[in-house]
Amino acid sequence: MSIEEGTFVQKYDLLGCIQCGRCTGGCPVTVRTPLNVRRFVYDTVDDERLEELSENPDIWDCTTCNTCAIRCPKGLEPFEVLLGLRAMRAEEGNLEPTAITALESMFNNGNPWGKAAAKRLDWAEGIDNLKVLEEGQKTDVLLHICCTAAYDPKIQPFVRNLVRVLDAAGVDYGLIGEEEKHCGSEARRLGEEGLFEYFDEENTELFARYDFQRLVTLSPHCFNSFKNEYTNLDIPVMHYTQLVAELLEDGKLELSKEVASKVVFHDPCYLGKKNLVFDEPRYILGKIPGVETTEFFRSKERSLCCEGGGGKMWVESESKAPRLAETRVADAHDLGAQTIAVACPFCWLTIEDAIKAKGYEEEMQVKDILELLDEAL
Amino acid sequence: MNIVVCVKQVPDTSDPDTEVHIDGTGKGVDQGKFSFVINDADNFAVEEAILLKEKHGGEVTVVNIGPEAANQVIRMALAKGGDSAVRLDDEKFAYSDPVATARLLASALKDVEYDLVMTGCLATDDGYGAVGIALAQLLGVPHAAYAKTVEVVDDKKLKVGRELEGGLLEMNEIELPCVLAIQTGGNEPRYASFKGIREASKKEIKVMDLAATGLSEDQVGEAGSVAVMTQYSVPEVGELAEILEGDPAETAGKLAGILKEKGLV
Amino acid sequence: MGDILVLAEHRQGELREVTLELLTLAGQLGGNVTALLLGSGVDDFASKIAGFADKVMVVDDPMFADFNQMAYQAALAEIIKNDKPGLVLIGNTGQGVDLVGSLAVELDLPFTTDAIAVVMEGDKPVVTRQYYGGKINGTINFKDAETYVIGVREAAVPAGEGGKSGEVAKVDNPVTAEITARKFLEYVEAAIGDVDITQSALLVSVGRGIREDKNLPMIEELAALMGADISGSRAVIDAGWLPADRQVGISGKTVKPKLYLALGISGAFQHVTGIKGSDLVVAINKDPDAPIFQYADFGIVDDLLKVVPALIDKIKETKG
Repeated sequence: MSIEEGTFVQKYDLLGCIQCGRCTGGCPVTVRTPLNVRRFVYDTVDDERLEELSENPDIWDCTTCNTCAIRCPKGLEPFEVLLGLRAMRAEEGNLEPTAITALESMFNNGNPWGKAAAKRLDWAEGIDNLKVLEEGQKTDVLLHICCTAAYDPKIQPFVRNLVRVLDAAGVDYGLIGEEEKHCGSEARRLGEEGLFEYFDEENTELFARYDFQRLVTLSPHCFNSFKNEYTNLDIPVMHYTQLVAELLEDGKLELSKEVASKVVFHDPCYLGKKNLVFDEPRYILGKIPGVETTEFFRSKERSLCCEGGGGKMWVESESKAPRLAETRVADAHDLGAQTIAVACPFCWLTIEDAIKAKGYEEEMQVKDILELLDEAL
Repeated sequence: MNIVVCVKQVPDTSDPDTEVHIDGTGKGVDQGKFSFVINDADNFAVEEAILLKEKHGGEVTVVNIGPEAANQVIRMALAKGGDSAVRLDDEKFAYSDPVATARLLASALKDVEYDLVMTGCLATDDGYGAVGIALAQLLGVPHAAYAKTVEVVDDKKLKVGRELEGGLLEMNEIELPCVLAIQTGGNEPRYASFKGIREASKKEIKVMDLAATGLSEDQVGEAGSVAVMTQYSVPEVGELAEILEGDPAETAGKLAGILKEKGLV
Repeated sequence: MGDILVLAEHRQGELREVTLELLTLAGQLGGNVTALLLGSGVDDFASKIAGFADKVMVVDDPMFADFNQMAYQAALAEIIKNDKPGLVLIGNTGQGVDLVGSLAVELDLPFTTDAIAVVMEGDKPVVTRQYYGGKINGTINFKDAETYVIGVREAAVPAGEGGKSGEVAKVDNPVTAEITARKFLEYVEAAIGDVDITQSALLVSVGRGIREDKNLPMIEELAALMGADISGSRAVIDAGWLPADRQVGISGKTVKPKLYLALGISGAFQHVTGIKGSDLVVAINKDPDAPIFQYADFGIVDDLLKVVPALIDKIKETKG
């Protein structure tokens, strides 16, 4: 690819970096991979080295958890440099086969999972009166399901839980249906800037066909893209935990059943560190009868990433060291937690794997807050 | 070296969740719930063509038989490095068997200068594995099926490794021009970036209908076929796994029997 | 109907099983069965084949020592033109696929490939084939002709016991011209120890259900017995029990074996997406609700540590 002079310096404000090392110092994946993000910020100042740096496999170790950005005293986003390098690889077509499969499926099917667009509503099988919107139809909340929740049989139940919660609270909401598309978040994390821009345009156009007040997402990853990365999306975007907290506060949602469990909340990076939504999920948990909450030592801004984001669902690190999710599960075990609560499909999947890997299946479970809400209804 | 690469757009039916429903005619399937992709082996053929072009120069022509929607796979091939494209599109081409299909492809090549023609070795929808082989005979050139390694010896010859059962490579020397039906796994197909595909959309795709092929109606479609698929049927398999019952010795015995019967042990 | 001509297949000094399968099928279809054996110094094969055919036609020439499609096609074309068999059966194999389409086009004969069943309706064969990755079947009807050429899938019909004693007749090589456009050079074995599971025909794949890595030798014994490669789920690779390049799934490899034997794999979506190209999936898992059973063709609900040793014994028995 042709690299314009000073591309990275300007795009990522590299000269603002004082090389203090707080980014790498806090980077969670350094315990299991050689990634040194400070070094990349330093090296990418030199345009002539960009090509070589983009070939460094370490750029794929980043989970884009935002820890480096939150710690940077100069307000930079060091991990974005790694996404810039990934973008060079994507433009050259030189990606891992697993990433190619996911990206081609996004292009062909509008989702990264190789599933037909026409099967996007399969999660709703058996639900009567599913509120799929007609074009131009008026509604308060437009619900964006997202690909993993729509297609992964393990995550699909959470969408049904969410629909049940919204129905119980009498929320005026609607769905797009089979035409709903990937938000583009994971395309961008895999380096596909062009494809992300395509989803930005397509979805903005798609949303404009409906008359709604706010866009609510199930996944923090879609939430973040719609809220912070779309160029022309001029509507309020909420994560479902924000909406549910509001419903509880307004007394619209009543949780009557006891859910006796010691619960620790794992902050999803894209909800917490990236968008500073820390209180709503905890507020919801506090409202569920019978739930006894505890906190990780590393929580909120210091929360440990589960390694599910940043395109890592499709690109493995070579590291043999235990995954961060296993560390997280071990920490929860030490706290005596019976339930690790999450509010993100990727977190749920990585933590479920880690519970199995640690052999804690008998003692603890991972549950999305939606599952707990459903039990409490 | 000028190369022609033939690509087919197929429904991605390899997904275990994808159901195939026979339509009312019994000769087609409902296309509504499919996602469409480039045929797997054709994707490797495209990559092999681009690799050869990068190494030895020349032009790559992409040929497809399909509706306008197939432009998607053509553009991906163009984005990866293809130079020009031809799409054969006429409703009279429907139900072509491998011979009629090969005849159509040959008609598209009459004005193309080529040293090498590549196809995938097998399409995942109809699984004939015969089009490239029949095409070679129609063009009057040698061929190799299941070609997994391709090496240019000189401007007259290739060294081609054909993959046989068990992964054994049968090495052959083949004179150019020739047809290679490319096996999967011999290279790593590159990614066509979205920007690249958008760029490639500017390249013209020449569309040929029946008149443009110079063929007659009885040479294409069902009329031009020697072996016609007349009726689809649903094989007898359950939705869930057939569970083998019994104690470990019994279940293991049943399983060994099934594997033996299917020629797998 | 006319006679049936079956092309014998051999490779590296061994007669391939598909030959006997095709001869068995030909015997079931009725009519005279002639086996055509193209080779060099292949008397042993001829006598073995004679047990399955009414006649064995042997063309013994160094030209046929190894498979060369052009030499094979030239010989077959001459013999078919002379003998006018009603039906020609060729294995749908690495050799046969290279041959069927061009041979039939040269002679302008109706043909099809990868038949999983052939029956006669009068003088005309009707073929069943699979479409869309085996999800549906289709029936092939041919245009009328004197001779039909069919590529038949390996193991479509199990080889029978034979019981014939066909006459072995050596005939002159009908190919007089030298074949120059395509030359066989050599065979190159797949590198040993460098397993590429995306290319494996048989995979024994293990998940957390094996519990500890000390149970791996049992799996290795089974795989060796079956000639299969070993792959695993992400959990097993994470545990360091198998190398990373053996990982099946969306963040690992997509495999397409003839058999995927899933042992103690629950079948997460991210895993089964990687086995979508498999022909036959067999799952052994003690959890009857494991999602893998939704993707498997056959299942055993039991502890793999009990079933695998039994399976090893049974396969040994089967192999004699």
